[in-house]
Amino acid sequence: MRASTPPVAAWRERLPTLIRVYGIILTLVLLVAVVGIGNPAFLSGQNIFNMLSQWAPAGIMAVGMTFVILTGGFDLSVASGYSLCAVVAAYVGQSYPPSIAFGAAIIVGLLFGLANGLLVAVVRINPFITTVGSGFIINGVALVMTKNAAFLVDNPDFGTLGAGRWHGIPYSGMLLIVFLLVFGFILARTVYGEAIYSVGGNYEASRLSGIRVRAVVASTYVVLGGCIGLAGSIVASQLSSAQANLDPGIIFDVLTIVVVGGTSLSGGTGAMWRTAVGLGIIATISNGFVLLDISPYYQSIIKGTIIVAALALDGGLTRLVRAK
Amino acid sequence: MVQSPIGNKRVSESTLAIRVRNVSKSFPGVQALRKVSFVLETGEVHGLVGANGAGKSTFIRMLSGASTPDSGDIEVQGLPISFEDPRAQRSNGIAAIYQELTIIPEMSALSNVFLGEVPNRWFVVDRRGMEKRFRELAEWMSVKISPHAIANTLAIANQQMLEIMRAVHAEHDVIIMDEPTAPLGPFERSRLYELIGRLKENNVSIIFISHDLDEVLRLCDRVSVMRDGQLLETRPSSSWTKDTLVQTMLGDVEIVPGRKRERGKVKKLLRVQDLTLPGKVSGINFELAEGDVLGIAGLVGAGRTEVLRCVAGLELPAEGRMSIAGEDCAWPQSVRQAIDRGIALAPEDRKREGLVLSRSALSNLLLADIGSGSVGPVMSSAARRTKATALAHQIGFNADRLDTDALHLSGGNQQKLVIGKWLHRRPRILLLDEPTRGIDLGAKQEIFQTIRSLSDEGMGVVLVSSDLEEVVEHADRILVMARGKQIAMLDGTEASVERILNLIFAVESRPALAGVN
Repeated sequence: MRASTPPVAAWRERLPTLIRVYGIILTLVLLVAVVGIGNPAFLSGQNIFNMLSQWAPAGIMAVGMTFVILTGGFDLSVASGYSLCAVVAAYVGQSYPPSIAFGAAIIVGLLFGLANGLLVAVVRINPFITTVGSGFIINGVALVMTKNAAFLVDNPDFGTLGAGRWHGIPYSGMLLIVFLLVFGFILARTVYGEAIYSVGGNYEASRLSGIRVRAVVASTYVVLGGCIGLAGSIVASQLSSAQANLDPGIIFDVLTIVVVGGTSLSGGTGAMWRTAVGLGIIATISNGFVLLDISPYYQSIIKGTIIVAALALDGGLTRLVRAK
Repeated sequence: MVQSPIGNKRVSESTLAIRVRNVSKSFPGVQALRKVSFVLETGEVHGLVGANGAGKSTFIRMLSGASTPDSGDIEVQGLPISFEDPRAQRSNGIAAIYQELTIIPEMSALSNVFLGEVPNRWFVVDRRGMEKRFRELAEWMSVKISPHAIANTLAIANQQMLEIMRAVHAEHDVIIMDEPTAPLGPFERSRLYELIGRLKENNVSIIFISHDLDEVLRLCDRVSVMRDGQLLETRPSSSWTKDTLVQTMLGDVEIVPGRKRERGKVKKLLRVQDLTLPGKVSGINFELAEGDVLGIAGLVGAGRTEVLRCVAGLELPAEGRMSIAGEDCAWPQSVRQAIDRGIALAPEDRKREGLVLSRSALSNLLLADIGSGSVGPVMSSAARRTKATALAHQIGFNADRLDTDALHLSGGNQQKLVIGKWLHRRPRILLLDEPTRGIDLGAKQEIFQTIRSLSDEGMGVVLVSSDLEEVVEHADRILVMARGKQIAMLDGTEASVERILNLIFAVESRPALAGVN
């Protein structure tokens, strides 16, 4: 073993590593500063609460997606599951109290996640294909159920989950933060979280070490399913209605949130705080466009550029640290 | 005599293939090379030895152009060279064959040999020309590989041959081989030695890196020793001995000899009767008592790994009978079942099967007992650290490095983790598959010390190793295997490397029954 390096040099040497690990926070801070200076209304409580409420469904699903991606998995059926759960919530909500409606949506989400999980972990079909396929099925089920018409709910209590507020703070935003904290804790501090990292880092080594690898992988899809169920409930509640093709593009938001944060698509490395930062970045960009009054024509160009730049910066710094 | 495919070699006035002067290289916090000077003569086989971390890999990476020196200069064939990328290096005539082969597993043998410079006419691949050249090379190297075989279906030895073919095809003047024999069995090794001799006759210079000092002394014209980033000494092989090499390499580390113990009657741990895995292994019988070290010797592919995997619940369906502590039981159906019976396997492929490289040493040490150090489902980092530190001491792992990712550890340290992760569960039977492959002498000693102290505490150990000396030195009994069958069970006192080899080759040199070449 080599002698430890002197402290001054150590700090200098660790700088690139620190930037690599925490650089993404820098990106978020920069973005917030730019948008905040451009339009101070960005930092008002009102605006932040609105953002929380608006991003709650995608953010909650990103929490579950973080679990799946960390095991080296992937789920492309998110958008279909999300619509189906919203439809279930609205359908049940038409004739039953909201709690039963949302409960039913979450149960459907969990069952859907379980089916995905079993196919991926036990039958061992590639997660990409599995979830593309199951996504089609679920989308079809939702279409059959609704005949592509919107289900409207006129019970005012139904709107509380998505649109209700306590002292201006939206319940849905609180749920988002609770989910980030609770599942972040599970990931970082529990045996289950440790197993997720191990399985994602090296499936075979984990299996040979006696970890229940299949159960771990399958369970992450169930977690995501539960998140999808809640997200679907929130959006149905916000809109007081739901339909089969609610928001097919939300899958990209969910994946972008997780990946921009720096969680690796190959599994094993990443963290929940990264997903929180990724969510902050995506939400700030989207909200910034509105507040800075940027023409919609340029929005997707800028959004795409920032996302690619954030990842390139990450990769570039990693290479810089390794190369020398 | 087959004509050499190397053709008319460039004849340069210089008799020096490579001259390195005062090359230094540092990484953040580490002086990897200090003023290394080195000369490689044309047509010489030059051995390079040193403990892990001595700087061998950095040095050859530099020669092969994969990294640039901070200072100093390098001449190839008398001409100073600038370092840009491995492609430029190719034209400089230096090829490096690393331990991690650069074979593309899904491509054919043919494509792999011509990787990077596919013969073509107006960008249309010249397949016929490639095949002709391939056969030429294969014949000259006495290699039997079908050009259409997919690389990942070939044995490691043959994959390595493909890399050498690539280098021979490109008519490189210098070939660097980084531990080429580590994954090879005795028979494949001797084939490689022959080939090296033939390359040498054709004025190809070779830098040969190996931890097997006997092999280095036998094969090389001159041997250089590295330690702590310095090249300490170069001498002709005849004026080195194994002892002087070891002394120079290690400075002042003491070598602990194995010791056999005399024991009275002890409790039986494991009894395997007539173990058969259709098509791979048949008729294996052995017993393991408390404190026993049972060695399994045989060539690569003799079925040694399969025996361990059957006992560890990884190969299904195994036939035959097994009893643990005197009680008959079925073969374990899963890893977890084997673990419950006190059986643990430290697999051969550290990186793929042993470790989670992206996690810290601490996480890896607790991997096999992931729930330890937790209150209910919540982990206590203090408790985990205490347990990991205790394990680290037990296996001779530096506890200061517990937070380092496994990826950044040396092979020796990685191996310690692969063994160490089981100790917390106190298995009664520990199965070790090639625990010392590719690791340096110091780490080897520490690993055998660990094995000894475990067996002193009553653990039964099954040791598979390609290093027969190691098996003879440390095993109480040795099961000799060839072609999937048990051919002998030797007592430690009556075993010798020579005897084992004779037994193995008596079987292996017999012609195979059905169409296997």
